[in-house]
Amino acid sequence: MNRVLVVDDHAVLRRGIQSIVRAWPGWEIAGEAGSGEEAVRLNSLLKPDIILMDISMPGIGGLEATKLICQQQPEAKILLLTLHDSIEWVRTAFQAGARGYLLKSDTEAELMRALETVAANRVYASPRLDSARIKSIVNDLGLVAPTGMLPSDGAA
Amino acid sequence: MRILIADDHDVVRAGLKQLLLERKGWEVCGEASTGRQAVALAQDTKPDVVVMDIAMPELNGLEAARQIRKSLPKTEIVILTLHLSDQLAYEIIDAGIRGYVLKSDCNHDLVNAVEALGMHRPFFTAKVSEMMMEGLRGEKPRELHNEARGRLTGRQREIVQLLAEGKTSKEVAVALNISVKTAETHRANIMRRLELHSVSELVRYAVKNQIIEV
Repeated sequence: MNRVLVVDDHAVLRRGIQSIVRAWPGWEIAGEAGSGEEAVRLNSLLKPDIILMDISMPGIGGLEATKLICQQQPEAKILLLTLHDSIEWVRTAFQAGARGYLLKSDTEAELMRALETVAANRVYASPRLDSARIKSIVNDLGLVAPTGMLPSDGAA
Repeated sequence: MRILIADDHDVVRAGLKQLLLERKGWEVCGEASTGRQAVALAQDTKPDVVVMDIAMPELNGLEAARQIRKSLPKTEIVILTLHLSDQLAYEIIDAGIRGYVLKSDCNHDLVNAVEALGMHRPFFTAKVSEMMMEGLRGEKPRELHNEARGRLTGRQREIVQLLAEGKTSKEVAVALNISVKTAETHRANIMRRLELHSVSELVRYAVKNQIIEV
């Protein structure tokens, strides 16, 4: 069973993510946090298998929280969920230690696909993003996905 | 109580649906991911309340709300949005919307808003009410408001959104079920009225006047 920590400052969004994840076999919710600071604290406490985290939050935000979590636990699996569809944000997210980048405009099915991909130790980026540029970022940062997921099918 | 949910994000719709269905006697009668779909579903299902995001493709939530209020005056609308601005407050009041909740407000604020509007009572959270009072004291938003609303008709604002989203005249014609010639005439009238000379200027106008978001 994969346990997810859901981090978003919007309660409605946390609720939506939880209802989608709970309906998926093999997945459960480890906990929820409304800020980056809380995410860092709950990650140590709850030890989730994967963290699904918003980038734009008051306080330290999702990128800083990602860096802090990855400093403490380099093997942490963090999937960022955001409105920002700029490729530069993806680079910054992967540099911070995230291993997945999902857009809030992506579908329910894509959310679960992203979680499955990152949980399997692979790198994921939304299919709405430019796959060639994602591949280039993944190569630049040396993020070689063990199972070689291809960017053309939505993951890098 | 029958509620229609309109938001272009699957996760938000899922969250809203779960939240609203927890209340006994409440039913989600439809889900829309664009403003245009929301108008069509509202006409089909005649909900008591529509929970509507503003930033949606094809037709934004404000224009969709104006159309729904016009054809279904008994249907109340709650705007649920990320944004807080006095400009938007004017637009909301002008559209006949009587509920405005921020996505950062608590879940119970939204439930309270739907409940109040179901009884045809207005509902604005404390944060929103405060912002509206501030906006009413200032003159600048009123000027912006006049600029945004006074120069175009509802139909023209719809066309501005579609063009600013990159649609061609043919695609506008299909979306609005009008002839290509009529779409082109609308386009020429809009450009003339706004004194714009290119699509990029039109996009800037649409962003500035919150017809689309980037």
